[in-house]
Amino acid sequence: MQAVLLKGNQDGYQLILNQSASFTEIIAELKRLFDKLAAEPSSLEAARLSFDVLTEDRILKSGEKKQIEDLAATYPKFSIHKISSNVMTVTDAYQLKERENVHLISRTIRNGQEVKLNGDILFLGTIHEGGKLITTGNIFSMGNIAGILHAGYPNSEEKLILGNIHNAQQVRVGEQFDVIDDEKIDDNDQVVAYVNDLHILAYGKLKELKQINPKLYNRIGGQ
Amino acid sequence: MGKAIVITSGKGGVGKTTSTANIGTALALMGKRVCLMDLDIGLRNLDVVLGLENRIIYDIVDVANGRAKLPQALVKDKRFEDRLYLLPAAQTTDKTALNEDQVRDIVEELMPDFDYVLIDCPAGIEQGFLNAIAGADAAIIISTPEISAVRDADRVVGILEQHPLEEEPRLIINRIRPHMMQEGDVMDVDELTHHLGIELLGIVFDDDAVIATSNHGEPIVLNENNPVSKGYRNIARRLEGASVPLMKIEEQKPGFWSRMKLWFKRD
Repeated sequence: MQAVLLKGNQDGYQLILNQSASFTEIIAELKRLFDKLAAEPSSLEAARLSFDVLTEDRILKSGEKKQIEDLAATYPKFSIHKISSNVMTVTDAYQLKERENVHLISRTIRNGQEVKLNGDILFLGTIHEGGKLITTGNIFSMGNIAGILHAGYPNSEEKLILGNIHNAQQVRVGEQFDVIDDEKIDDNDQVVAYVNDLHILAYGKLKELKQINPKLYNRIGGQ
Repeated sequence: MGKAIVITSGKGGVGKTTSTANIGTALALMGKRVCLMDLDIGLRNLDVVLGLENRIIYDIVDVANGRAKLPQALVKDKRFEDRLYLLPAAQTTDKTALNEDQVRDIVEELMPDFDYVLIDCPAGIEQGFLNAIAGADAAIIISTPEISAVRDADRVVGILEQHPLEEEPRLIINRIRPHMMQEGDVMDVDELTHHLGIELLGIVFDDDAVIATSNHGEPIVLNENNPVSKGYRNIARRLEGASVPLMKIEEQKPGFWSRMKLWFKRD
């Protein structure tokens, strides 16, 4: 059984670590392989070789990854570009799900309560004065907002807030914030709050979303 | 160098926050630079009474924990140019989020910039109270003529005697209903002052307008002709060292025209 397989493709060289081989076997075979490659200069024209490592259905611990990187580093010509795997841990999967999902929330956020989430939020509840809804993603609100909305927490300015925000106390996107008292915002369900090119919070309408945030517009199916 | 005054009562609901907002505003109207500090962490109200609720970005707990600098957390009241500021309390945590040293440090940092730092103390005599008196030079005790408020005020005076501040505490009797006092249903001003054994700083009448104005985020002091407003203005002048006579406790007899209005009001 071969523990390490070297493959070449358009992107360069790939080292595939057999998932049923033990890690000690892999390290031993990698060393043999590197030694062999280093001894045959003619077979390698490039001055420096960078490998992508694929671990198949195995997840390497950071110590193990480091062992592989250190081994490559002992050869002046070799380095490891990235180590990837076909699988991910349950924790990572949950995080990914939380980040990529649109959370549907329908509750009352009262004075002094702070709801903090990752990813986009579709908010159907009510925020009372002094309540806060904070997320790393966008906020799409169909609820009653009398408190504070914070999208793109802590500092992503490409996020936006959509909904009726004319009663809110404050709107925050990334590091920018507005006290709504000072702003005249339409009493309209389709207001978009976003950070413009001058890094200032600005307010537009939903139908201007294509200009405001083309990336989001394209993702959600704009033409 | 300013002076830090804690406004406390022991009992809740006697008007600490209203008094803090109004004395502060009265002092600002007199041209003093004032910082109002809300220490009622978790149940903050001073911002609401002043109409500054929407403008809060950072709070005192952020400052104490180094998440924000003190000037960033101060909320300026635009009605008074550069003279009235609020340091808001945090809302998402509780009284134990601060300790005495942190409050003392913050007050000391405020002192050079302001003539007065008024500290709005939470009800009770626990950690929140201890924090509030930690940085203060003087104390104002608020009591109403109700016996329960007087008991609690007495307790607070006792605690302050055990941990004396630089100045002796002074008393404000709040929510006086003249006719009840005249009829002897409640302790009168002299009796109360004598009972508590501290100097009287002023008296304030009970008036519906106090609730109405604070619902609009406007301290009653801004309304010049209101008797409550006069009470607070007098208190501010006495704090500045002026000698102002006490207001008279007499039921103001409604004049002919206001009586006429009353007839039409009845349904």
